[in-house]
Amino acid sequence: MSGDAMGSDKQSGLVQGTLDMLILKTLALEPMHGYGIGVRLDQISKGVFQVNAGSLFPAFRRLERDGLIKAEWRATENNRRAKYYALTPQGRARLARAAKDWETQTAAISRIMRASLGEI
Amino acid sequence: MRPFLAGLRALLGRHRLEQDLDDELNAYLEATVEQNLAAGMSHDEAVRAARLTVGNIEAAKDAVRDVGWESRLESLWHDVRHALRGLRRSPGFTAAAILTLALGIGINTALFSVVNGLLLRTLPVTAPEELVVLSTRGAIEQGFPAGWTYPMWDQVRKRTDIFNGAIAWSVFPERFDLAQGGESQFVDGLFVGGNFFDELGVAPLLGRTLRVDEEILGSVRSHVAVISYGFWQRRFGGAADVVGRSLLVNRVPVTIVGVSPPEFFGPEVGRAFDIALPVGAAPDVLSDNRWGRPDGFSYLAVMLRLKHGQSGEETVALLRGLHRQFVEASMGPGELWGPNHDAQLRDTFALLPAATGTSELRRNYSQSIVAILAIAMLVLLIACANIANLFQARAASRHLEISTRLAIGASRARIVQQVLVESLVLSAIGAASGLLLAVWGSRLLVASLSTWFDRVVLDVSLDWRVLAFAAAMSAATALLFGIMPAIFASRVAPGAAMKVGSVRSGRAGVFRVRGGLIAAQVAMSLVLLVAAGLLIRSFSELAAVPLGFDSDRTLVVRVNASRAMSGPGNRPDLYQRLVDALVAVPGVTHAAASLNTPVNRGATLVADLTVPGGVPIAQHDQRVVVNYVTPGWFEAYGVVLRQGRAFDGRDSARSMPVIVASDAFVQRFLSDRPAVGSLVSDMLDAPSRRDVPKTIVGVVGDVVDQSLRNKPPPTVYIPLAQFMQHPFAGTPFMSVPEASLTVRAATGATPQLGRGVAAALTAIEPNLSFSFQLLADQVDAARHQERLVAWLSGLFALLALVLAAVGLYGVTSYAVARRRTEIGIRMALGAQRHDVVGLAIRNTIFMTMCGIFVGLTAAGAVTRYLQALLFGISPLDLISFLAAPLLLVLVALLACYVPARRAATVDPMNALRCE
Repeated sequence: MSGDAMGSDKQSGLVQGTLDMLILKTLALEPMHGYGIGVRLDQISKGVFQVNAGSLFPAFRRLERDGLIKAEWRATENNRRAKYYALTPQGRARLARAAKDWETQTAAISRIMRASLGEI
Repeated sequence: MRPFLAGLRALLGRHRLEQDLDDELNAYLEATVEQNLAAGMSHDEAVRAARLTVGNIEAAKDAVRDVGWESRLESLWHDVRHALRGLRRSPGFTAAAILTLALGIGINTALFSVVNGLLLRTLPVTAPEELVVLSTRGAIEQGFPAGWTYPMWDQVRKRTDIFNGAIAWSVFPERFDLAQGGESQFVDGLFVGGNFFDELGVAPLLGRTLRVDEEILGSVRSHVAVISYGFWQRRFGGAADVVGRSLLVNRVPVTIVGVSPPEFFGPEVGRAFDIALPVGAAPDVLSDNRWGRPDGFSYLAVMLRLKHGQSGEETVALLRGLHRQFVEASMGPGELWGPNHDAQLRDTFALLPAATGTSELRRNYSQSIVAILAIAMLVLLIACANIANLFQARAASRHLEISTRLAIGASRARIVQQVLVESLVLSAIGAASGLLLAVWGSRLLVASLSTWFDRVVLDVSLDWRVLAFAAAMSAATALLFGIMPAIFASRVAPGAAMKVGSVRSGRAGVFRVRGGLIAAQVAMSLVLLVAAGLLIRSFSELAAVPLGFDSDRTLVVRVNASRAMSGPGNRPDLYQRLVDALVAVPGVTHAAASLNTPVNRGATLVADLTVPGGVPIAQHDQRVVVNYVTPGWFEAYGVVLRQGRAFDGRDSARSMPVIVASDAFVQRFLSDRPAVGSLVSDMLDAPSRRDVPKTIVGVVGDVVDQSLRNKPPPTVYIPLAQFMQHPFAGTPFMSVPEASLTVRAATGATPQLGRGVAAALTAIEPNLSFSFQLLADQVDAARHQERLVAWLSGLFALLALVLAAVGLYGVTSYAVARRRTEIGIRMALGAQRHDVVGLAIRNTIFMTMCGIFVGLTAAGAVTRYLQALLFGISPLDLISFLAAPLLLVLVALLACYVPARRAATVDPMNALRCE
């Protein structure tokens, strides 16, 4: 059933399974609440990734249960209550690993995409 | 582990978690609205836009909830409650299904409990998997437990360099008489080595267990006993001061030193000891000083505990290397023993795994009980078909509900899950009630295994295996009867129910499936009926086996003269005097004594004989059964005298040695040569001892021996008065402490007769002990197993027949109800009554015929697995294969006739008005 939630990311063009990594990366910069994370993803990707609540919140729940992020209710800058998420040490380690894998994979993929007959 | 804990936390703190999620999503929504306001939208616009970007809040919540496994558990729990509600709404269906399942699963679990107790359970001792029974190749081939003499045991036990430890106990069931004298009170006894309890790791509940020095033969210190928990409760009411009390065992006083724990029944599965005595007490208690001698009986079973990490093969190889040494050390030089010694040397050691103990019951019953379990499983399958039918009908009636739910967005997987959960709930309730039935049923079954001779005790309490079996049964049945309704439910078209009249469509397929179920049910019932027919016919064949004697109005009195005043040498004389006294008892027409009686479950005396000038025969065919009898024995048993004469007063200790031979003996040794007057030599007498050939003076009809399944063996009878002529007579080997007195009454063996007999016996010899048994009961006990198997299979076949009839009835009724309108129209148009009846039952009869065809084929293929249980008939016995289908067709016709008649009485106008 959780597969259905991932499917809705298609329209935002997100590669399957990368949402978790992006959230971790966003939280590595500073602790943030749900809305902020969505806005930040939108900003940094220059509007390419617009992640809706239906995908965002299941991802938070998943990451929290896996012990990669932890949550805390705090006041926002305009004095409202919001649930702030922050990376745990495990989350930091997972992010480092995921980033490394991502680098390797994308580098390999772009090499393949650029390849011409002469290079082989 | 982490997802599990997180799930658990989520389940427990569900309320708080929900609140949290609500708050968070609201905060998200508000933040979006604020953002939109900041971008210059009006309030309403901002809210609408926010709602659009956030999407369906409820769907998002669902997605969040679905992250963990606990959400699935929740939906399962929801389905369970839904199922329970649904079942409560149709109590008739629920009661019928649960009752059927409880019965089916209960019977199967009861049988499995017995299989578990008999075949699978390990002994309740320390590290049972290390235990092996010391046996020989020959004993294993013949399927008998190996017995060892005390000197042999003494040799083996010392070799703890080869194994970790050894224990010994009496291999034959021992009955201890607790009475002072007169009529015996038997309990189950056991002789054990001194280290028996310690080596097995069985700690006493009270007092102590036995000590190694108490094993020394004949020492007074050995007159101590460990009693079982059951005996302690039964005899002493669980008295706390039982240790130190005295008991009379075979009139020898012994002191109770301890009580064994309740779970320990002894080394043999199926039997439980009441009193365990050290082997050292055996010579006194059995008044038999041949213990400890190399020519004593091979009386001890020996179990070894393998060294850690050493396999049975390695151990047996080491033991085989020592075999000759053991035999010579325990028997002395070979010249003394001749062929017997060589035979001992040839028959080398073998080991049998003994984690589950040893068991005569297992040898006798494991095949029958597994066959009965297979039959019971078939009954359960048939029951499942019935429930599947009921379920199917129910699912069909819920067509509307299901299609509506599909239309409003339920997933098919969810619907299928719901139907399966419903069947699981049903079968789980059935299995739970079945377990109760099984606890009671398995005890009943064990009780019915007991005969006058064997008190069968088997631990059939619930353990993880039985519970797992019941759970597996319940899951399997749920799948069997739930899968089709589930498939059916998943095929319903969404919203189909809303189209007028379509409720009726799509049922033809369902009806075909139900027809298939009926055919399968009929086929399985037929296999069962054939199997039951074969087993019942086997029993009736066995019951018809000519015994060779007449068991009516006959009492067998087993007397023990070991404490009698007259010495061992005078016992044949004593027995003759007892017989003379019994003939004088009013109401007695015949009385006679013999060492053995037929079908008495006791030991049989054998000898290797030759007839000089007779038919040359191989050595292994020389063994015959020998019995010593007084004059009048043949008359008392009603054995037919064919030629010559029976024994009479002329045959005394000093007269010419004579024998009476049986038909089978004459057949084998003399063929058609004249029997009366021929001489017979005992092979054992021949080389060195008093070789006096015996003259055949008469020939009598055959008498069955211990088992009715075997042909009567060649038998010779020798006058008891000439017993002292036996080469071993008078030696401890042949001191005949016991004999059987057979009394035939004029009019039924009444209690009064027993009293008269007891008085007459005590008058002659006050120190005699004795027990009574009706000969007819002994004959019954010899057929016990076959009777039980026939009875159980018959019962299950009847159950199958009833289930099949109910199934057929149900399907036909359904068909008739479904076609009510059609029938009404046909009748209105002038169809005849028999046309209508034919219409209603044609399909069912066709399915029944298909089932019978399949069933006959299947029965033909599987009945050969019953071969070992059959007697006197072939696995393809024509009568069984004809009677079973006939009976089934008859029952099927009857089951169809009732609903068909109802169809024929349909009032056309009524039927049409209904629509």
